[in-house]
Amino acid sequence: MAQLSIRSVSKSYGAVQVLDDVSVEVEEGSFVVLLGPSGCGKSTLLHAVAGLNPIDSGTIVIGDRNVTNLPARDRDVAMVFQSYALYPTMTVAQNIAFPLKMRGLDRRTSDEKVAGVARLLQIEPLLARLPRELSGGQRQRVAIGRALVRDPRLFLFDEPLSNLDAALRTELRAEIKRLHQSIRRTMVYVTHDQTEALTLADKIVVLKAGRIEQTGTPLSLYDDPDNAFVAGFIGTPRMNFLKAVVVDDGKALTTGEARVDISHLKTKLENGKTVTLGIRPEHLDEKQGVALPLAVDVTERLGSTSYVHGALPSGETVVAERREDQPRFGETITLRFKPGLARVFDGDGNRIR
Amino acid sequence: MRPVAAASDPTKHFFQPIIVCLTMASVALTLFVIWISLHDLSLMRAGREKFVGLDNYIRFLGDPRAMAALWRSVLFTTLATVIEIALGLAVVLFLDRDFAMKRLVRTLLLVPIIMTPVVVGLTWRFLFDPATGMANYLLSLGGISLVDWLGSPQIALFSVLIADIWQWTPFVILLVMAALESAPTDPLNAARVDGAREWQVTWYVLLPMLRRALAIVALIRAIDSIKAFDLFYIMTRGGPALSTETLNYYGYIVAFTNFDISYALAIAIILTVFTNVALLTMYSVLFPKTGDR
Ligand SMILES: Nc1ncnc2c1ncn2[C@@H]1O[C@H](COP(=O)(O)OP(=O)(O)OP(=O)(O)O)[C@@H](O)[C@H]1O
Ligand SMILES: [Mg+2]
Repeated sequence: MAQLSIRSVSKSYGAVQVLDDVSVEVEEGSFVVLLGPSGCGKSTLLHAVAGLNPIDSGTIVIGDRNVTNLPARDRDVAMVFQSYALYPTMTVAQNIAFPLKMRGLDRRTSDEKVAGVARLLQIEPLLARLPRELSGGQRQRVAIGRALVRDPRLFLFDEPLSNLDAALRTELRAEIKRLHQSIRRTMVYVTHDQTEALTLADKIVVLKAGRIEQTGTPLSLYDDPDNAFVAGFIGTPRMNFLKAVVVDDGKALTTGEARVDISHLKTKLENGKTVTLGIRPEHLDEKQGVALPLAVDVTERLGSTSYVHGALPSGETVVAERREDQPRFGETITLRFKPGLARVFDGDGNRIR
Repeated sequence: MRPVAAASDPTKHFFQPIIVCLTMASVALTLFVIWISLHDLSLMRAGREKFVGLDNYIRFLGDPRAMAALWRSVLFTTLATVIEIALGLAVVLFLDRDFAMKRLVRTLLLVPIIMTPVVVGLTWRFLFDPATGMANYLLSLGGISLVDWLGSPQIALFSVLIADIWQWTPFVILLVMAALESAPTDPLNAARVDGAREWQVTWYVLLPMLRRALAIVALIRAIDSIKAFDLFYIMTRGGPALSTETLNYYGYIVAFTNFDISYALAIAIILTVFTNVALLTMYSVLFPKTGDR
């Protein structure tokens, strides 16, 4: 049974439709990531689940209770806010103990729990400080601690790592993953960072302008995107998109000089139709396959691998992974890819399978 | 800690002379006042003053009228400050963050503040008139027996208090409202998620965040109420039977009715010292040193 069901939820601020018929099922104990660009309605959805934001229509069910009209206090969720939202006038220890105090827990049990959480998050030396005396990463951990100290049905995280530097972000990302594996609680996690989504999620929900674009496991979104938005949003560097024209009665595409066999597609395309061909950078480093000549612009060396930025004769820019050599500016190299790994999208960006 | 740049900051050449002038002026003035208060300068006996030491201060301690006035000042200041803060805060919390016509309400709130005390005092004198005033008319509608608002020694001080509250509660409302608007809302939401009821959200999270603003408003109001003069002058002139004579007003009477300048200045000094001690205590209670800059 699903632990959280969001059913056809819609919400608008005045004329702006912020959530448009959003439905998400979250299984017990799973880690679901809401992924989307800034302003797509992720926080709004999370606040709606927490009960901080009334919704215009739809139903929210937590466990077996319809909580659509319940106040936040009765929903038994814990939330880490995008802004951390620590209580500025309370010490770290008081911040973490606050949810326990509100539940009328006695002082001794509460102190023990706070100490336990502080040990887990390695914030024991900070317990007597005020939030403003902490660094961003420390505040972050206190906010997570305040959520963990309870035993709620559901954890909600709203971009908890967005304000941190890269190293701390990686570290805390691993910490959250470890945490989920050890306590096995249902978690909904919001981010606009696809690396975070791919590393943490059991299931990713991709949102764009208040609508769900696709829901699936990280691998299925990566390998089998439903549309050009998801294909482009997931994976770094971004997928390359090339204009192509259908030839040979729908059996092949031409892009520039190259001819790409698409006879494996179930959909039959008409001759002369323009489509978009999507190829991931890591699929352009093959020994055999369709060849594309690339005039190299810059090469980013990352140590184990390199990314080559350049232009095709058509003028379209392409990023390609290069594992063995590191071409320089001005060279022309040949990229090769297997037609089966390329994805085809129609004029509206929908996938053609 | 002082920033390193402070030592060579050239702007000090602009502000330091001004600070020196202002300091010298106030120190000289204070010393002069203290000096006079140690004499028996009186305009009734011009040219015959002599040094009397602490006589004026000893006289104050033995002056029942002064002691009663001091007590009245304390009572008025405490009541005015507490009621204005409590009422203002209650109104702000009740009005909450967003409501229709908020701008209009905010503009209306400015009216009592910008009215001159003379107009406020006169208006309330008319309202409190025992025969023709609105206050008694309203009481009569409710079938309550009439009150001699400004004529009864037991009631007059509270009538002035009502006028003061009417004039200055909006000031508290405006400042607290501004503080509330600039306070972050996410901690309040966090408290709701953490299981707090609305009153607990207010009590544990919102009020502590507003504490600084409230403390500053309270200080301003306390200082103003101690010095209150205009409403008393317009509404009661200290009467009836001295029942609304505050220490400040008594000082004025001593100086300009009795022309006993030295004693009036001694009263002023006592009032100043008393105020400073009270306010510093209040300040250190409201702004504990822990961790604050
Ligand atoms: N109180 C509000 N009034 C009007 N519009 C709002 C309000 N809150 C949010 N919006 C709008 O709703 C949309 C979604 O906002 P939301 O905060 O959910 O975005 P988000 O996906 O969390 O973005 P980010 O990644 O930047 O946090 C935005 O276009 C925003 O402008
Ligand atoms: Mg957000």
